[in-house]
Amino acid sequence: MFLEINNLHARIGDKEILKGIDLTIGPGEVHAVMGPNGAGKSTLAAVLTGKPGYEVTEGSILFQGRDLLAMTPEERAWAGLFLSFQYPIEIPGVTITAFMKAAVNAKRKAHGLPEFKTGDFLKLMKEKMALVQMKPEFAKREVNVGFSGGEKKRNEIFQMALLEPELSILDETDSGLDVDALKIVADGVNTLRSPERSAIIITHYHKLLEYVQPDVVHVLKDGRLVKTGGRELIDAIEARGFDQF
Amino acid sequence: MGHGKYIAPPAGQYQVQAGEVLNLQFVVLPGESRDIDVSIDLIGPGAEAHIKALYLCGADEKVNFHILMHHRAPGCHSTQTIKGIAGGTAQVQFHGIIVVAPDAQQTEAYQENHNIVLTDQARVETRPQLEIYADDVKCSHGATVGQLNEDELFYMRSRGIPEKEAKTLQMLSFLSPVIPEGRAEEIESAVRSL
Repeated sequence: MFLEINNLHARIGDKEILKGIDLTIGPGEVHAVMGPNGAGKSTLAAVLTGKPGYEVTEGSILFQGRDLLAMTPEERAWAGLFLSFQYPIEIPGVTITAFMKAAVNAKRKAHGLPEFKTGDFLKLMKEKMALVQMKPEFAKREVNVGFSGGEKKRNEIFQMALLEPELSILDETDSGLDVDALKIVADGVNTLRSPERSAIIITHYHKLLEYVQPDVVHVLKDGRLVKTGGRELIDAIEARGFDQF
Repeated sequence: MGHGKYIAPPAGQYQVQAGEVLNLQFVVLPGESRDIDVSIDLIGPGAEAHIKALYLCGADEKVNFHILMHHRAPGCHSTQTIKGIAGGTAQVQFHGIIVVAPDAQQTEAYQENHNIVLTDQARVETRPQLEIYADDVKCSHGATVGQLNEDELFYMRSRGIPEKEAKTLQMLSFLSPVIPEGRAEEIESAVRSL
C-alpha cells in the first residue's frame, strides 16, 4: 500500500493525543479526515511529517514501504511528503525564491538529479505562481512576512505545486479563506490529482470538500478514527455535527 | 534615565563635527577573541554616527563590546545595530551607553543589540544603558538573547531543506542587516563553520 498507519499512538509531554489510528491510503486516493477541535487532527499531521516535540509510543507508519518514523522531516519531504501548514511560518530575511530554490534543489539532489539553473527555476516558479494566482512580486517577498491569511494559504499550495509531492497533507487549509481563495486552493489541489498522487485533507468543515471530492471520509474523535465512509458522512456532519459519532 | 547630575564622560576617540557623518563597521569572525571599545562624541549640531557590528564566535572565544555614544550637541542622530551568534563555550559581553547631554535637544539615538546562542555553554550578556539629560529627544534601545527558531527550522525541513542548511539560512537572515557589502560569501562560510 501507499500509506499504511497501524495502531498509531502519540503524545505531547505526558498527554496522549492519538490513541490507536489505523489508516490505509492507496495511490491516487484523496482522504478527508474530519473532526472537532482537539480531536488530534493536527497531531496526526505533525507526526506524519516528523515535527519535533511529538512522541510516538506505539504503532508504525509505512510510506511506499519505508518506515516513515525512522526518517527526518527533510528525508520525508524528499520521499514525497508535503504538509500544508495550518499556520504557515514567517521566515524574515528569506525570500520565497531563495526558500523554494533551496527546497527544490535539495530534493533533486536527494534523487540524484542536477540542481536547477536559476533561469529554469524562475520560469518554473512563475508557472506555479500563476496556477494559484499569486502575483509575480511575491517571488521577492520574505516568506509569509506581512501576508494576509489567504495569501499564506495560497503560498502553501504554490509550494505544493512546485514540489509535486506524492502525498499532500492539507491541515485546515480552508480555515480563514473566503470563497474565491478557497476555489483557487481547490483548483491547485485538483490540478495535482493523478493516479500516483494522494492527499489527506484535514478539516473540521465541509467547505473545501465541496470543491475537492474525497474518495474516503474519516471521522477523528478523541484520538481515534471512529467512522469511515464516503461523501454521505460529510452531509451527516453538516446536518448533525460530531456528537452523533 | 532618571540619573542625577550630568557628568561629561572623557573625550572619545571619535569627534564628529557639525554636519559630518561617521560610519563604523565591525566584523568579528570565528578564530579570534576581540575587545571592541568605541567612544564617539557628537560635538557639532546635526552630526551623525552609525555603527554596525557583526560577530560570530565559537570555541572558547571572548568578544566584548563597549560602546559609548555621547550626544553633546543639538539635532544629532545616531544608530547602532550590533548582531551576532555565539557557539561553543564562547563568551560575549555587550555594554552600550547612550548619553544625551542637557544641551543636546532634538537628539535621535537608537541602539539594537540582538544575539543568538547556539549551545547551552555559550554565554551572552547584554547591558544597554541610556542616560538622558535633555527633554526633547527620541531614544530607544532593544536587546535580545535568543536561540534559533524551532518553528522556522521545522518549516524549512518539512520542505526538504536539510537541517544544517536551514540553520545556515536562518542565521544569515538574522545577520543580514549587518553584513557589509561585498562580504556576504565570507560571512556565509564563517556561519557554516560554526
